Amino acid sequence: MTRPSPKIGVYGFTGCAGDQLMILNCEDQLVDLFGATEIRSFVMAKSDNHEAELDVALVEGSISTEAQLKHLKDIRERSKVLIAIGTCACWGGPQAMKLGDGKFEERYKKVYGNAKITVSKAIEGQPLDAFVKVDMKIPGCPIDKQEFLKSVSKLVAGKHPYLLKSPVCLECKWKENKCLLLDGKFCAGPLTKGGCGAVCPSHNLPCVGCWGPTDDLNVSAEYDLLKEKGFVPEEIITKIRKFGGSGVMELVKNLEKKEAKK
Amino acid sequence: MMILKMKKEDLPAFLESAKEWGELWGPTTKDGKTSYAKVDSLSQMDLKATRTVIPPKKFLYPPRFTMFDFDEEGFVERTGDVPKRILFGLHPCDVHGILIMDKLFLETYKDPYYAERREKTLLLGHSCIPDDKCMCFATNTDFVAEGFDLFFTDLKMFYLVWVGSSKGHDLVRMRADLFSRNLDKNDILNYTEYRKWKTAQFKAKIDLTGMPDIFELGYNSPIWDELGEKCLSCGQCSMVCPTCNCYNVVDEVDLGTAEGTRDRFWDSCMFREYSVVAGGHNFRDKRADRLRLWYTHKLQAFIGEFGKPACVGCGRCVATCPVDINVATVSTALKEQEVGK
Repeated sequence: MTRPSPKIGVYGFTGCAGDQLMILNCEDQLVDLFGATEIRSFVMAKSDNHEAELDVALVEGSISTEAQLKHLKDIRERSKVLIAIGTCACWGGPQAMKLGDGKFEERYKKVYGNAKITVSKAIEGQPLDAFVKVDMKIPGCPIDKQEFLKSVSKLVAGKHPYLLKSPVCLECKWKENKCLLLDGKFCAGPLTKGGCGAVCPSHNLPCVGCWGPTDDLNVSAEYDLLKEKGFVPEEIITKIRKFGGSGVMELVKNLEKKEAKK
Repeated sequence: MMILKMKKEDLPAFLESAKEWGELWGPTTKDGKTSYAKVDSLSQMDLKATRTVIPPKKFLYPPRFTMFDFDEEGFVERTGDVPKRILFGLHPCDVHGILIMDKLFLETYKDPYYAERREKTLLLGHSCIPDDKCMCFATNTDFVAEGFDLFFTDLKMFYLVWVGSSKGHDLVRMRADLFSRNLDKNDILNYTEYRKWKTAQFKAKIDLTGMPDIFELGYNSPIWDELGEKCLSCGQCSMVCPTCNCYNVVDEVDLGTAEGTRDRFWDSCMFREYSVVAGGHNFRDKRADRLRLWYTHKLQAFIGEFGKPACVGCGRCVATCPVDINVATVSTALKEQEVGK
């Protein structure tokens, strides 16, 4: 099969760079990856980067400065496909956990006071799709090597990648784990997109939701259940928002409205 | 069908000889959870455990497996590499679950992957100790007369052993010296006593008679919306149900090539994605609609098609659902028109 190597760019904004690092950590497949694609830009991995037309842009991190926003728009303009990688790029990450509360300026002042900022004007951290069209989201904190490689392999072959949409519980049950919610633990599995192999619950550690929201999460039912198990409302909401960002913002607002009526 | 008698102390020796046929698997308990695992001998098994987390369907139809490898020229089936296994300790409900799977995967459209595993798996049943979650008395699956190769009923001093297939008989013949055909009056009395004892063990209060009518009457009941609000859509019920059999199929491609695999994995109609069709329309976008489908299928539609419910009363949904949505609570809620706390 002779298909031209897709031109790829890998970029990072506000985040820990863990997703880009995970790409580099695909050691066994790295030669294949660089062989099957033309990596035009990947600042974290190489010098001699060319900022030109791209078939696929892989973008990590949330957008939290005006300079980043300008750069993101530039990437979008020259990319056929833009993929958000990692929970920050997909949903905003922990820096977006207070998204929508209208208190960004207040928090900003509390941290920076009147310090003169010389880099670029800060804006409230938000996921990529708050600003540009995102064609696909590969969440994770960090992304999963296998899910990433499977997706890229399909893109290179000209096929549409498939990502699990179901919650963490699917794979958790395949591993025959006992449901941690039954033990009264705070497990965010039912709210969280699966594909991670339910790695934490398989080690008896409750899911913290680091892959962001699943396709059809029932925030209200999870909230009621956790409250019944003895968790306090503030803690439940904080934990749901920790990685949920823009994906749970409206759901949590609705929940708070419903609770206020009670 | 033939019933033999075996001294209880002879079971380890029998299983030892059976291992010549294939790998021995049985229920084992570790960190408070019971699951089927490969074992060396009877001593590693937990025959007192009432249920495993996942039913034995996982052997006949694994959670995720590759159907075939493909390239640009064609494809090669991944059949032939399934090990021969003996599953020991299946309870009557487990065997009933497999009988339902057989109907779905071996009759109208024979599934080659299921058929191969079924062919290479011997089912050795064992009587059970019902707990408060067991509902098999309500689904008529508390005893089983077919589907197994051998079935061992524990009558304290000895086993009564049902021989259900020629393969089962072959295993018996490997150690014919351990089995006796001489059954007398006392054996009949003991067995009658055992049946009485078992029937008296059930504590769950559930009556599934008339469920098809109740479901028909309750199709538009607001009970479904109430249950839908409670449901986490986590899909655990489908994973643990011995008769849930839906799957998703996805191709995986090797990087930089046109070669790859076609994989199949367990899915659940409780997930939103399950009922999305081309163009993006979803026939069951509401959680309540999905929940209603699940239970209607088990307790109404299946009866219409196969004359029995697609619930074998194993109680796994009762033991698993974090928000208490299960065959017992849903059928009761529908009958009484009230969702219990």
